[in-house]
Amino acid sequence: MKKVLYTQTEGGKGFYLLLAVLGAIIGVGMLGTFHMEHNGHWVTGMNQQIVWGVPHVFAIFLIVAASGALNIASIGSVFGKKIYKPLGRLSALVALALLTGGLAVLVLDLGRPDRLIIAMTHYNFSSIFAWNMIFYNGFFAIVGIYIWTMMEKRYNPYSSKVGLAAFIWRLALTTATGSIFGFLVARQGYDAAIMGPMFVVMSFAYGLAFFWIVLNTSYRMTGRELGGVMTKRLKNLLGVFVAGALYFTIVMHLANLYAPEHKGVEDFILNSGGIYTTLFWYGQILIGAIIPLAILYYPATGNSRCGVSVASILVILGGIAQMYVTVVGGQAYPLELFPGHEVVSTFSDGVINSYSPTLSEFLLGIMGIALTLAMVAVAVRNLRFMPASLADSVADPHHK
Amino acid sequence: MKPVRKLLGLLSAALLLITLVPSAIAEVGPTIPKPIKGKQCVAETSDMRRNHMDYLKKHRVEALRQGVRTKQYSLKECLECHVPAKGEETTAESGQFCKNCHVYVGVKLDCFECHATQPEPLDDKSAQGHPVATPAMNAMGRIHQPYSALVMNSPATQQREAK
Amino acid sequence: MSESNQTDLSRRQFVGKGAAVAATVTIAPGVLLYGAAEARNLDQPASSDVRWGMLIDTNKCESGCNDCVSACQTEQGWGGENSNEKLSAPEQKVQWIRKVDLKDTTTGHTQSLPIMCQHCESAPCVDVCPTTASMRRDDGIVLVDRHLCIGCRFCMMACPYKARSFVHEALEDQKPHMPRGKGTVEACTLCVHKLDAGEGVTACSVACTKGAIVVGDINDENSDIAQQLKRHKTSQIRADLGLNTGVRYRGI
Repeated sequence: MKKVLYTQTEGGKGFYLLLAVLGAIIGVGMLGTFHMEHNGHWVTGMNQQIVWGVPHVFAIFLIVAASGALNIASIGSVFGKKIYKPLGRLSALVALALLTGGLAVLVLDLGRPDRLIIAMTHYNFSSIFAWNMIFYNGFFAIVGIYIWTMMEKRYNPYSSKVGLAAFIWRLALTTATGSIFGFLVARQGYDAAIMGPMFVVMSFAYGLAFFWIVLNTSYRMTGRELGGVMTKRLKNLLGVFVAGALYFTIVMHLANLYAPEHKGVEDFILNSGGIYTTLFWYGQILIGAIIPLAILYYPATGNSRCGVSVASILVILGGIAQMYVTVVGGQAYPLELFPGHEVVSTFSDGVINSYSPTLSEFLLGIMGIALTLAMVAVAVRNLRFMPASLADSVADPHHK
Repeated sequence: MKPVRKLLGLLSAALLLITLVPSAIAEVGPTIPKPIKGKQCVAETSDMRRNHMDYLKKHRVEALRQGVRTKQYSLKECLECHVPAKGEETTAESGQFCKNCHVYVGVKLDCFECHATQPEPLDDKSAQGHPVATPAMNAMGRIHQPYSALVMNSPATQQREAK
Repeated sequence: MSESNQTDLSRRQFVGKGAAVAATVTIAPGVLLYGAAEARNLDQPASSDVRWGMLIDTNKCESGCNDCVSACQTEQGWGGENSNEKLSAPEQKVQWIRKVDLKDTTTGHTQSLPIMCQHCESAPCVDVCPTTASMRRDDGIVLVDRHLCIGCRFCMMACPYKARSFVHEALEDQKPHMPRGKGTVEACTLCVHKLDAGEGVTACSVACTKGAIVVGDINDENSDIAQQLKRHKTSQIRADLGLNTGVRYRGI
């Protein structure tokens, strides 16, 4: 395989325009955040029944996608697939950027964000949330070192070992993120061990979809070549991951449907939940899985960069819908304190809880995405993350 | 170059004027309202000035997490002497004892996001629970809080125990 | 002889009675002290020898009666007509204790009962709190250390009883014994300030005119609550979760 040349992207009008747009989005998002933090959460739509809302939907999506974005680098380093090796640096960068964006949203929504130092210094080791924080911080460190071994020539021989450590670490991280919900015995919609592994497979899909969008868009904007071989490989990978995520979703719901105890919440999500049912079937399943799979595996659309881009965007939209159904839908369904009873109280016992997200929450969530993209843009401008060309002649290890 | 230097010089002078003059005109030191009760704090004033944050921080862990409710470094007890209860303000001094000094030195106070800034008025019937020596405990001769005698004999504590 | 017998008898009687008196005098203060053991020495930390608990007899609860709720509101400074939450929407206002009305969908049987923090032994909220702010004191009371709370609301997600509330706005006029503020989570404290002061009651237990709420040391066999728990059948809400709650109910 030919030696790959990595170059920085050039500046110029397009770059500064991109930064200006992203900066504006981030600025507006910060305004919304300040409004929330200064006044208190009464300005949001979150209440005593729905305590995690749109910001958490975006934050958890970005964090899950972060570990998935590292996949490409892992497949290159750990599993030795040569064709993915040129993408390793960019993959790790996008992973770090996604995690930063997700964590920024999460931290800015805390009731007391000024107490972040306390969160860093007082750990409850039986809390899966605390373990997530340890994993996130470790992720920054390990992936940072991983990028360094890939970029510094004399450390290249170590990149596969560090890549293995990064791979294991991110599996633990995503399992822990899924277990945030899976470990909650109190709620009908959670309390499933499968949620840990399910989030891992979903991370594969969401991370790769996001990575493809970044790759394709940046190569178009900088006029670099992205060949059909690379496109086809990534397309196949995305298809497998989306199918895998669909499989886990089906298994989880089937298992829940089997238990009379969970019939209520399953009926709520799959049938009678209004917005949640719509988002599940049309968002998560149709837009997030079935249509992308059709696009990816139909030869006419699947082998074009445009087709893969459309499929990726749909996967991302489906992913956000899935997070909404999981995070908010799981809270909308009431806690089952008295099975077999109708329950009435002044604290919304026994009723489906309602939630009307406000603009500030959406601004905060979108700010996370903008932050991610801005970080990637600045990084590829200043350091050599992107291969100069991914044309077939360069990227294809079997090219004659 | 020269006109730029002149301009810079003028700007610096203006900046200095704007920042130094008000602070020269202003009073030196914060206005600290006098304590309402008691003649003496639970520790030396100089000790308290330097270390009150450490005492409070240690006490809050003991009090809340372990249930050790001694009175010497209790924030609630500080307020009893240093801040008038609602409706019982006797002097025209403005502000609150802790906040006045903290605003002056520019150290942000977090305590009063949650803690009441004034002690309970004496006739507030809803003040049922109060970690003082109850009559029952006193009757058995168990005076267990190590606080200075002056605080213990203060009119507020006497009145409350007589209730 | 009879004289000496009588003298011996009276001496025996004297010794016997004297011993009885001495025994009483020796033991009585112990009994008194034991009875007032709730008035813990506040120099010392709370001990796990004590386990504070609550017994609620739902047979005595009426639908529409909110005495316990009102008492808690007055005592702890939340909610009610003079609520210091002025900006929050109704679904955003805190509620530490609430009356719940049940109706069995099959039989139509109705009942009413108050629900608050159940002060579980294996509290899920304590497990999931990332900063150890949600804690269980050694004597069984589950509390939020608001000095450490970062307001992540994970404990609210984890609580099986929806006992915890989040403060959505800046507050003023807190009760001095009950600090509460924006951005932190709170719940029923089992009136820890009253228990520590040796009063042995909570605001709700005092306010219930029907005597449905009893508070005491479950570990003390001689306490009213322990004897009632032994005598009558009681249950926990969501007992299948295995949390060993400190709040027990009769009649559900």
